[in-house]
Formats: sequence, C-alpha cells, structure tokens
Amino acid sequence: MNDEIHTLSGAYALNALPLRELGEFEGHLSRCETCTIEVRGLQATAARLGAAVAEMPPRALKSRVMAQITEVRQEPPQVEEEEEPPVAEVVPLRRRGGRWALALAAASAVAAVSIGVIAINEIQARDATIQETQSLLAAPDAVVRKVRMVGGGTATVIASGDRGKVMFTSDLPPLDASKTYQMWVIGGEQIRSAGLMDGGGVRTATVNLPAGTEHLGVTVEPAGGSQQPTTEPIMLAKVV
Amino acid sequence: MGFVNDVVPITITGRNPELDELLVLVARGDEAAFERLYDRLIASVFGLIRRVVRDRAQAEEVAQEVMVEVWRSAARFDPARGSAMSWVMTVAHRRAVDRVRSAQASTDRENRVAQMGGDVAYDHVAETVTTRLEGERVRRCIDGLTELQRQAVTMAYYGGYSYPEVAGLLKVPLGTVKTRMRDGLVRLRDCMGVER
Repeated sequence: MNDEIHTLSGAYALNALPLRELGEFEGHLSRCETCTIEVRGLQATAARLGAAVAEMPPRALKSRVMAQITEVRQEPPQVEEEEEPPVAEVVPLRRRGGRWALALAAASAVAAVSIGVIAINEIQARDATIQETQSLLAAPDAVVRKVRMVGGGTATVIASGDRGKVMFTSDLPPLDASKTYQMWVIGGEQIRSAGLMDGGGVRTATVNLPAGTEHLGVTVEPAGGSQQPTTEPIMLAKVV
Repeated sequence: MGFVNDVVPITITGRNPELDELLVLVARGDEAAFERLYDRLIASVFGLIRRVVRDRAQAEEVAQEVMVEVWRSAARFDPARGSAMSWVMTVAHRRAVDRVRSAQASTDRENRVAQMGGDVAYDHVAETVTTRLEGERVRRCIDGLTELQRQAVTMAYYGGYSYPEVAGLLKVPLGTVKTRMRDGLVRLRDCMGVER
C-alpha cells in the first residue's frame, strides 16, 4: 500500500481533494480494499458531522421536490465491478438473437468492410498485462464489467474510450482445432472483428476500441476467423 | 432507536436498517418510500448544505437538487457498502461543495484565501461550529480533537475548503493538513462509535 496516497482518505471523505488528486485517489480506491473500508467509515463519520447541524427547510421545498420527481426518470440498477446474472448484463438469449441478426443484416448491407483480423498471442508477459490493466483502470472514463458467459464461466471487460482500448479476460473453455474465439466491437449497426483468441484457458487480450463502440462481443468461429459473426455471441458486454 | 429518531431525527446513530430499506424501495420507484425518506433526512441534508453554502435561497436550491438526485440515482446505493444516511449525506456534501467552488473561479478563491489570513477564517468557523453544533456526542467528540485536527476537519467539511486551501489558511504544510484530516476523522469515528 502506498502510504502517501493512503493518507488522502480523510481529505477524500471530506470532499477536500482537488480534482487531479481526486481522480488519482479514486483509481487507488478501486484497487485497495482496506482503503475502501476506511473511506466508508470516514464518510459515515462525516455524515454525523452533517447531521449535527440539522435545520428544517421551508415546507414548500418538499412540495417542489415531490412534484419534480414525478418528472425525473430513475437510473437503472448499476452493474459495475459486480458479477450479475446474464440477463442483467448480457442481452437475453432471445433478444440477443434478434438484435444480433438485425445488426448482422444491417452490416452486410454496408459495403464490405476490410476487417483486418489480428491474431492475439497467448497471455503476454504477466507484468505487461498488469501494467496495462492498471493503466486502463486509472482512466477517468474506465468501465469495468464482470459478466457471465453463455455456457458458464465469467469474463472481465475493462474499457476506456479515452484510451481507445478495451481489455477482455476470461478462462475460456478449450476449443478443437477447427474453431477459434473471435472478438467483435459493435457500434450502432456495425460489427467489426477485433481479433482472434485460439485455444482455451486464461486469455487476456487488449484491443483497440474504435469511437462509437457500444459493445464487445465474443463468438466461436471456424479457425481463421470470419468476416462477420456466424454464431451467437457467448459474451456481450457494454463498454460505455 | 425508533424512539430516539422520532424525537430528534437528527441524531441518527450508526446503521439504521429502516432508512436503508427505504432507499432500496426508492430505487424501485416507490414514491411513498421516497417521501418517508425525505421526512427523515431533509433536516440533516438541508442543515449541512446551509452550513456550507450559507445563502438560504441557494441552500434550498441545492437541497432540492440533492433530493432529486437521490431519487434519480437510488439504484447506486448498495447497503453492503454503507448506510443510506451516509450515502445521502455524501451526495449532499458533494453538491454543496460543488456549489461553493463553482461560485468562484478557483483563482478568485485562492486570492480570497490569501487575503483572509488564517486567524480570521478559523475564528469564524470555530465560532459557528461551537454555537450551532447540535448533538452532545458529536460536540464532545469534536472537543476531543487536537486544535489542528479540529480546524482541518471543520474547515473542510463545514467550510467546503479543499485541503490545499485549508493549508493556505492555516499556514501549515500540505502533508500536515492531509494527515490531520485523516487522523482527526479517525478519532471522531472511534469516539462516535460509527459502524464500519
């Protein structure tokens, strides 16, 4: 644990960090469980300081608030860094089929896009992967999803539009030699290949995230990969 | 617990499962639950915002924004990660601080801080804290802090100052202020018996 950054927990709980350090500390928090627990306790303490200066506002405020909420749409449940059932994160099977088919049809109507399939090697040097992960996680717009894969297992997807990268990692079931895993970046009506992952076992791949990408998908394709997906995705994760 | 809350809604201590449950219901669009949550928390929310923002009309605006924000983003609340009270007050404090910080361009604010000098600012904050703090326990716990811990914590929390601003006002090194904010809060936490 970095002692220097750890001492910021008090200032953080008091909302007293300047913007630059705020981003840095939140990045640190996402990796430091001890710090997260400490921050929660300190925030609860600060809340008590707030409650100690309680004061009733005018009654009219309540009518204004109650009227306003009838016009404000609520956010759907959050799905960050927590494993959730496939229905919450991955588009449900029936809808996925429809959506995937629709996207496919639309894509094939578009002039054939050169897809530039790149083969992704087995896990790169471990250090490089960890460094890459941390760098992505530190991006202010980083999105982290842990999703269930169709057929079992989970995958973690870390994406940053700012960095233009998305990282996928999962323990993939082995495939026979005639097949390969293929990643796809999906935005609007366009599905583009993002690379192949051969074989099975733990696979970590970082690929470019073109602007406008909304989902990262993985399918099982014939060895060598396909121009467009030919099977239903075994994983589909939102990257925005 | 229920008795204490009914009589003095401001002295909510530790976890309050009822409030947590209400906020979970709010996340599902339950307006009646929201109204009950409002009744239970609005005095704390408004009092804190008023303390930071000062101006009453602006404090009402911010309090309205905060409660609507609570409604809108209630799904983000996770009872496993903290209490509803803490969650709502964190939202309220952030909004109040945003309001005072955006009210002045940062350079103006730095100039103002430089001109004010430490003594003036501290006396003002210390006085208002002493005269307005409610809740015996909280006041007693604050009294148990060292002078510098108390200044650092109250200027940041009630004054809405960032830690570099507090350091400038008190003329102490940045590192000292960071440390005092942390150990001051830790001491308060232990004194108040806040559940973690």
